[in-house]
Amino acid sequence: MSIFKKTFVYASCIITGLAISTSVSLAEDFSEGSQAKEFGLADEVKSTFSAKVVDLLCEVAGDCADNCGNGSRQLGLVRDADNKLITVLKNGQFSFNGPIEDLLPYCNKQVDVDGLMIGDPEEFSTQFYMVQLIKDAGSDKWNKANLWTKNWNKRNPEAKGKGPWFRRDPRVIKQIEANGYFGLGEKADIEYAKENQ
Amino acid sequence: MKPRLKLIGVAAASLFTCLANVNLALSATEPKFIEIKGEVIDTWCYLSGVMGGQDAVIGTAHHTCALWCAAGGIPVGVLDEEGQIYMVLKLKGEDSAEKSDNIMEIQSDNITAKGIHYVRDGVNYLIVEDVIANDGITNFNHEDYGSVPSNSFPENYLANK
Repeated sequence: MSIFKKTFVYASCIITGLAISTSVSLAEDFSEGSQAKEFGLADEVKSTFSAKVVDLLCEVAGDCADNCGNGSRQLGLVRDADNKLITVLKNGQFSFNGPIEDLLPYCNKQVDVDGLMIGDPEEFSTQFYMVQLIKDAGSDKWNKANLWTKNWNKRNPEAKGKGPWFRRDPRVIKQIEANGYFGLGEKADIEYAKENQ
Repeated sequence: MKPRLKLIGVAAASLFTCLANVNLALSATEPKFIEIKGEVIDTWCYLSGVMGGQDAVIGTAHHTCALWCAAGGIPVGVLDEEGQIYMVLKLKGEDSAEKSDNIMEIQSDNITAKGIHYVRDGVNYLIVEDVIANDGITNFNHEDYGSVPSNSFPENYLANK
């Protein structure tokens, strides 16, 4: 092959690589038009996009269940723009509330979402999502992703009392009663309290 | 074959290879049976930095918060010794967000598990088929960080007992 031909082939590959890199990096910027609230999280980027809500077990492993597991499974988003599967870690509420309640009504449906991509993409190869707003694809009406607390209250009518849900949650209380606040038993809690309170 | 056609063919092959490599890197790999040793963690606090540095949001210091997050349906992960996180999708036949005690009982524990590992778009997913060893909590970092967040340990603990 002549030098001219070799140069042409190498140049075409380099240009292709650059074009792909550019398209990938551009595809990862979905901040335009986002109304998401900033939380000051690690590497957070506002991100609004169209996607399909999926059952992660079904999408990743082909292990599918009716209605995405009816709340027993982690859910994700397959983004329309690049077919990327995005793991959703959190809903839009401040406390320790996951995204399942907010995504489940849209199981296997097309949606628009708005929220934050978070996490160091260099360290973890990707970023993860906090969904703050969700709506049927193309709809004008956004819904706040804040269903966790309301649905928890419905599921736990006996867990009355003061304080947020996570201090009254029967599953949490059971573990703390068995193993203490540090997971080491009551003796470790008492020692800590004596030294620090 | 005419030289120009040959040249186009080589360029097309190069393009195909480039595209295939990029696609593979971004999408999925074949599932693998693995054995993994690591700490069961709350992925949100670890990845988001919402409670501070990574060393403080694992172990005993973060145990109660990890319980809160697991109860809240936030994905639970296994942090292995190389710092890789594996999102747990299933635990011994049970969906990982099932509202049972099983996922709660292993929070902050150092486990050895066998399961099926999938990678999709840069994320490790794990179907835990069995926990073959559980060393319990081995990271006593509350000695350095206290409770994280601080209000995860009750105020006036002794007085209110």
